[in-house]
Amino acid sequence: MTTTRRNLLKFAGGGAAGALLTPAPWRLITDTALWSENWPGIPRPARGEISARFTHCTLCPAGCAVRARCVIAQPVSLTGVKPHPISHGALCPWGIAGHHLPYHPARVRQGPVKEALAAVARAISHRSAGERVAVLDLRPGRTVSWTYRRAMAAIDDGLYLAPRQPGYAIDLTAAKTVVSFGAPLFDGWGTPGNAFAARANFRLVQIEPVETRTAALADVWLPIRPGTDPAIAAAFAGEITVAEAARVTGVTEQAIDALKEAIANGPAVVLAADPDSPLMNWNAKLHALGRTVVARRETPVPDEWKKAAPVSEMAATADGSIRLLLIDESLPGGYVPWQDIQPKLAPNAVVVAFSSSSEGYARHAQYVLPAPVYPEVAEDIGPAIDTVAAVFRIAAPLIAPVVPVVNPGELVARIAGLPQSDPLRERADAIHKSGRGTLLSYADGKSTAVKEATADDFWKTLNQGGCWMDDSGKKAAPEHAVLDGAGVGRSGTRPTLHDELPLTVVVAGATPGGLESPLMSKLERESNLRMTVNALSLSPADARSNGIENGSHCVLETACGRLSAVATIDAGVPAGVVEVLGGPRMADLCGASLRARVVRV
Amino acid sequence: MTAKRYGMSIDIDKCNGCGACMMACAVENNIPPAPEAANDRRGVTWIRVYKIDNHLAYPERRTAFVPVLCQQCGHDTPCVHVCPQQAVDVDPETGIVGQMPERCLGCRYCMVACPYHARYFNWWDPKWPAGMEKTLNPDVAPRMRGVVEKCNFCHGRWHAAQQKAAAAGKTEIDAADYVPACVEACPTGAIRFGDLNDSSTEVAQDAARPESFRLLEKIGTEPKIHYRSRRDWVREISSAPRPEGKDGLRG
Repeated sequence: MTTTRRNLLKFAGGGAAGALLTPAPWRLITDTALWSENWPGIPRPARGEISARFTHCTLCPAGCAVRARCVIAQPVSLTGVKPHPISHGALCPWGIAGHHLPYHPARVRQGPVKEALAAVARAISHRSAGERVAVLDLRPGRTVSWTYRRAMAAIDDGLYLAPRQPGYAIDLTAAKTVVSFGAPLFDGWGTPGNAFAARANFRLVQIEPVETRTAALADVWLPIRPGTDPAIAAAFAGEITVAEAARVTGVTEQAIDALKEAIANGPAVVLAADPDSPLMNWNAKLHALGRTVVARRETPVPDEWKKAAPVSEMAATADGSIRLLLIDESLPGGYVPWQDIQPKLAPNAVVVAFSSSSEGYARHAQYVLPAPVYPEVAEDIGPAIDTVAAVFRIAAPLIAPVVPVVNPGELVARIAGLPQSDPLRERADAIHKSGRGTLLSYADGKSTAVKEATADDFWKTLNQGGCWMDDSGKKAAPEHAVLDGAGVGRSGTRPTLHDELPLTVVVAGATPGGLESPLMSKLERESNLRMTVNALSLSPADARSNGIENGSHCVLETACGRLSAVATIDAGVPAGVVEVLGGPRMADLCGASLRARVVRV
Repeated sequence: MTAKRYGMSIDIDKCNGCGACMMACAVENNIPPAPEAANDRRGVTWIRVYKIDNHLAYPERRTAFVPVLCQQCGHDTPCVHVCPQQAVDVDPETGIVGQMPERCLGCRYCMVACPYHARYFNWWDPKWPAGMEKTLNPDVAPRMRGVVEKCNFCHGRWHAAQQKAAAAGKTEIDAADYVPACVEACPTGAIRFGDLNDSSTEVAQDAARPESFRLLEKIGTEPKIHYRSRRDWVREISSAPRPEGKDGLRG
């Protein structure tokens, strides 16, 4: 046999074709996959000693107890603490991914600190008569809030501003019927674990125009027309007839009668989305005060702190009177719309925002200083609306700040010339000195009477995972202006009609505000489970009349401004309503009018 | 060691669609945030909460939230049959349908075969914002671009429970040591997990309730995820291929 060029080519071709029928090429593909798994572009999780540490979530006033699983001191996952008597081991989606916040790509990482301090000094020293220095604290009730108040007392004409806090607590465990006027009971209202733990014991009647997450879990959902909530309360107060209330609200008379029966069936509580709503007056008529709506004692503070500046409201401040405004936005809290702040500023006012996100007041302030985020610094959390007893819990830092940050409390104290101190420790000592309450340690689940613990042990436990809870004591009725029992049916936030803005804005759900984990894309963009700030929902009828299709880009226009958004057509949204997500941007956009129109781009 | 048949029961009437299960799953299993181009079809979410409704107009319209994850089919598991690489198998000890990304060649036959749309393809390299890779779970390897992945009942946690039991000289793991992340995270207690072979477990008792059902029960894949609801319309939707139309999913 002679080897010819043709035979050689035949052999090579046949061999190549035959090789394809063997496992070899498939094996090669697998090996390629193995190689690609280990290429340098794929991050490798750190390995090392695994430990558990405890802290509290500061993303909202609920302050849920948190167990952090750490690898070499770096938290890699957060879970709730089961034995906690209020949070019951629950965390919301934002809390579960809270340890991502320090690395958020949109975090404010630097700021003009020197320039801001110089501007602050100039503003304080060059004030005209009647011009004031103010701190706006979005999360009052914390220890740092007392620092701000003390600082403002130390400065001439200092002013401590905070969103109004409910002067009462709601005891869900004592309620047999809960009537909620749009309060997002299961979606950010109080402590998630507390509301779910109490759920089996009460009947929930949710009254609001759209079926929110809370309405979806309610025993009864009354889909009323937007802004007609007071009519229901007025019918109960005898101010209008049931038939009239039914006509105004759009729900049936039978539904209102059924609500009456439910309320008569044991201790009830009325909740409103706005804790200062006149609707809360209904509680006085239901004899809920002292039973389901109760007074909460103040967590003890050192005696010398009590000379601090009083809490003032933005609305009560004179126009054009604030020369320097320092805004603590380091923790998300009650956002005061910018249009409420702007008139209060002097023409040459300096506004400094301590913020980690560019979403809130960072859009308006001249100086934005990078603030620490959870879980970078020690902080305490004030009580949530459903926390009946006074509490003190410290969010112990899990990591050091990953960017250079300015601690707002320390800076304000320095500006006011307060002596250097550790206010958290001082407050813990004051609580210990009071001898009240018990200390719960998360590591072993043990409760110890404060009287039996030394001051050092008390402080150590609070920092290593523990919570102080006041004695339950006897329930008392709260002293609060909105609970005077008068005029339950008087109009609250009834939207005014406006021909050019035909839609009523209904806020369905809100984020805690500020930064959120990049993984929230799973809930927003990747599954459409939660709305985003640039999304809105319309009824099919309104969408048709405005020429809007599902997914089309549009603009939400209000009396205060415009917002680009993507529209979703949802047959669950009533005609005449545009459903949006709450938050600072929407608060600035809507103001108090709650009227809008949607225009296709 | 007795063979287990791990399964879940999900009470739809308790779920408010908060998404805590989805977040806990992503954190536990090192699922990266979505790139800009990702959407509901190309994102990776091993457990996805669908919003469904009764298809009536306002105000009669009612919604429910249905967490859908790999249904861990116990009979003729479709994805196992079609995989050319043996990258999918059913563990006889646990009944868990496992996915081995290092064997996967990315043909996506399994995605086509899965009746529950519970498998996800990695369209992009896994990327986390700078610094966030420090927060990755050391028990789970990130997957590469070009492979399919899905829920495996937090297999890393099962291994950890096995190791703990072995260290204590036991052959059986303690049930409290093996709880998937979504079950642990659910604030309403809607999701339960356990051995369906053990009639004393809550999950086995839930599965036997009259209001209990499984998705697409008629196709005979014997899923190990048992849902329950007292609402008729919710149970009826479970027998459809998907909640009817994209409109029903709100996006």
